[in-house]
This record gives sequence, C-alpha cells and structure tokens, in this order.
Amino acid sequence: MESLNDLKDYIKSRCNSTKFLNLSEVPSNCRSEACMLGVDEAGRGPVLGPMVYGVAYCPINRTDILKDLGCADSKALTEEKRDEILVKMLKEEDCIKNVGWAAEVISPNYISNSMYRRAKHSLNEVSMTSAIDLIKKVIELGANIKEVYVDTVGPPEKYQAKLSDIFPGIKITVAKKADSIYPIVSAASIVAKVTRDHALKVWQFHEGLDLDYTQFGSGYPGDPLTKKFIREKIDPVFGYPLLVRFSWSTAELMLQEKAVSCTFEEIDEPSNKKSPRCKPINSFFAPKIENGTTRKRKKHKFFEERYLTIGNAFE
Amino acid sequence: MSIQVDNNLKDTDNKEVFEQRVHYIPCKIEEDASANVEKYFETYVTQNGDKDLTATFRGHPLDGIKLPLPEGYRGVLLTEAKRPLNEDMERKFQVAGGFKEIIYWNWDKKPSKNDNVVRAMDWVDIAEAIHGD
Repeated sequence: MESLNDLKDYIKSRCNSTKFLNLSEVPSNCRSEACMLGVDEAGRGPVLGPMVYGVAYCPINRTDILKDLGCADSKALTEEKRDEILVKMLKEEDCIKNVGWAAEVISPNYISNSMYRRAKHSLNEVSMTSAIDLIKKVIELGANIKEVYVDTVGPPEKYQAKLSDIFPGIKITVAKKADSIYPIVSAASIVAKVTRDHALKVWQFHEGLDLDYTQFGSGYPGDPLTKKFIREKIDPVFGYPLLVRFSWSTAELMLQEKAVSCTFEEIDEPSNKKSPRCKPINSFFAPKIENGTTRKRKKHKFFEERYLTIGNAFE
Repeated sequence: MSIQVDNNLKDTDNKEVFEQRVHYIPCKIEEDASANVEKYFETYVTQNGDKDLTATFRGHPLDGIKLPLPEGYRGVLLTEAKRPLNEDMERKFQVAGGFKEIIYWNWDKKPSKNDNVVRAMDWVDIAEAIHGD
C-alpha cells in the first residue's frame, strides 16, 4: 500500500458488513529492535460508519521519526495533515524501515449485531477485543513489542490489569488522552482516523441508495447532514442501510417513530421477577364461567409447543 | 362460503414463480406490504459451511437454515382481487406463486430440532398416520 488511493481500493474490496484487518509488513528494524506500540480508536461515538482500531509501532530509540512526521494530538491536526502523515508513513524510506502499523475496521453492522445479541456485548468489549487482537497479530507477525501505550475513555486501571495479564513481559501503559501525550499513540490515532475517513468516502450501499459521504456527513449525531440522513433514509420494514448503527439511541428512537414496529422475543431478566410462592386465595374456588360462553377444550401440548392451531386462512 | 382457486400460472415456463424465497423472521413485524427483501436483506445473507446461514435484521444477528417442506407438500401463495361484501358469495383466489422451502431464521441462536417451527413439521407424519388411508 503506497497511497490513499490504495487504501480506498483496499477498503472497497472488503466486505462492509463484518470486520477486517489492514496492516503493513513488519519493518525489518521492528523485528530486531525492542519496540513500543500505541493503540487508539476512531469513530467510537458516531451513529454512521465503522469504528476503526489502529496500532502503530517503532523501535523505542527511534521515536524521533514520529516527531519529525508531526505525530501529535491527532484531534488538533487537520484532516489534510493527517492524510499527509499517513502517506509519509506509507512512502518514506525511513518510515518503511522503522514504523509498522495495523488497523481493524469494525463495520456498523458488526457493532449493532454485537450489541443486539441475546447476551449483549457492549461496545467496550468489542473495543477491547479489537485492541487485544491487533497487538497479538503484530506480535505473531514477528514485531518485537516491549512497551504498549493505550488511549482509553474509561477508567484505565482495570483495562491496564487485563492487558498486563494477557501480555506478560510487556510494559503496559493505559492512560486518558494518551493520544496527546505519546507520539506513538498519536501515530496509531492517525492510522485509525484516516482509515475511518476513507472507509466513509468509499462506502457502498448494497441497498441501492444513490448517495455518498457528501450527503450523509461525518456520522456524528450533531452533524446536520447526518441528522437529515437519519431522519429521511428510512425503509419502513428494514429500517436503515447497514451504514447505520441500529443500536445507537439516535437510530433506535427515530425508527420507533418512523418505521414499522418490530418486536423481537423478549429475554427474561430474572432479577426483577417475583416468583409467586403461594397461590391467590380465589384460585381455590371454582372458576367463574361467564354467561353464554362454553368452556374451550384445551389444546394438547403437542400442538401448543409447535404453534399449531386450527385456523382458516380465508377468514 | 365456497372458495374457488384459479391457477393461471399452470402453464408458465417460469419455474421461479413456484420457487419463491420465503424467509421466516423471528420478530413480529407490524406491517402487511411489500418489502425490499432482495436489496436490504438477501444482500447480506452469507453461508458458512454446509448449510449454516447468517443474516441481519434491524441490527439483530440472525442464524438460519433452509427448511424444505415435507415430502409431497408445496407452499402456495394466493391473492384475492376483491373480497365480496356478502359473506355467502363465492370467493375467488388466484395462484400468485409458490415455494418449496422456508428459510428459517432464529435470533442469535442456531436453528435446531427444538425450534417450534421445525417441530411443527412433525404433525405432517402424525396426521398421515391418524388420518391417512
């Protein structure tokens, strides 16, 4: 991969309803020398498009390259600047030899499906799994990772303990705003952000909608284009195309209001159910039979269990 | 009330008419209308292994299998142009298509012999034993 067009073509070639990896080769210097690795994510909050996890890694004594690239707080960088840095990472000799990267693109459908499982899988679990898998993958490919820096939105302690358990022998640092403190996390953040931006740019609607990113916007619920998209592009039965995260309350509420109502099987929450220990007193009296109604013969269990009833489709 | 069913498709060369794809979705959809099943749903049906299918509906993960109708049975789809106002009048239906299998979907659970719809097919054999010649 040498350019942003290559990145676009690659994303386009992959299925946009699951998740997939995109990774650089492990640079020669990252095999021989002790490396630090940064982890960050892009697109956690938006109601549209994938969430992308990114990692970047380089030899511990070569962080000067990151500073020369301009890796600083990625939120303070403009989109153009981020694109420029990624292109340098892909092209420049010094980077190719020293800076490796990997990204996982987690589709909106993958996110909705996880959050709407019978046993709900939270976004945090999806995130953590992705981060861990990326680190594992890079190590498996031969990168000599000794230090890991992770940006987190939640409380760092638990996350840090978990990662230390999984990666013994690696120094783990989990911190809020790691993106602006550690250049390697900032590099990871750039990989993630640029990948997400381009995933939106090449989004293909298999539902047949003739639209592109200039019409659905950034995906953040505050973006007027995104708002309009969420309000208008509703299919009465299916709801939304798979660009949308169905499990976001913005989408949920809009579908409740504007689409056909769909009810899935309810899952019992055992906690707040009172089990009636004793029968109500009136159950000991003969059942009251309403005037004129004859008692219905009870259906055999066989039929009940199979949802079989005597019906007349022509009624 | 008597019922008359006409089959204008009897001589059709288009075999697909009687091999429509029917999806059983594990969800109550409060609508009776046509839906863009092909673009919004079937696009994302994927097969894993021999017969396990996966799909997604309103963000929910679905697991499915193809459920052939019992031997000797066919699914038929009928339409009625206009329902007569008088209950005693003869009603006329047109064959609009048919199907030979149901694609049965469960929400995040592999279909098995324990599913009600799968078990409902048991009745066919039992009915034959009780009421058959």
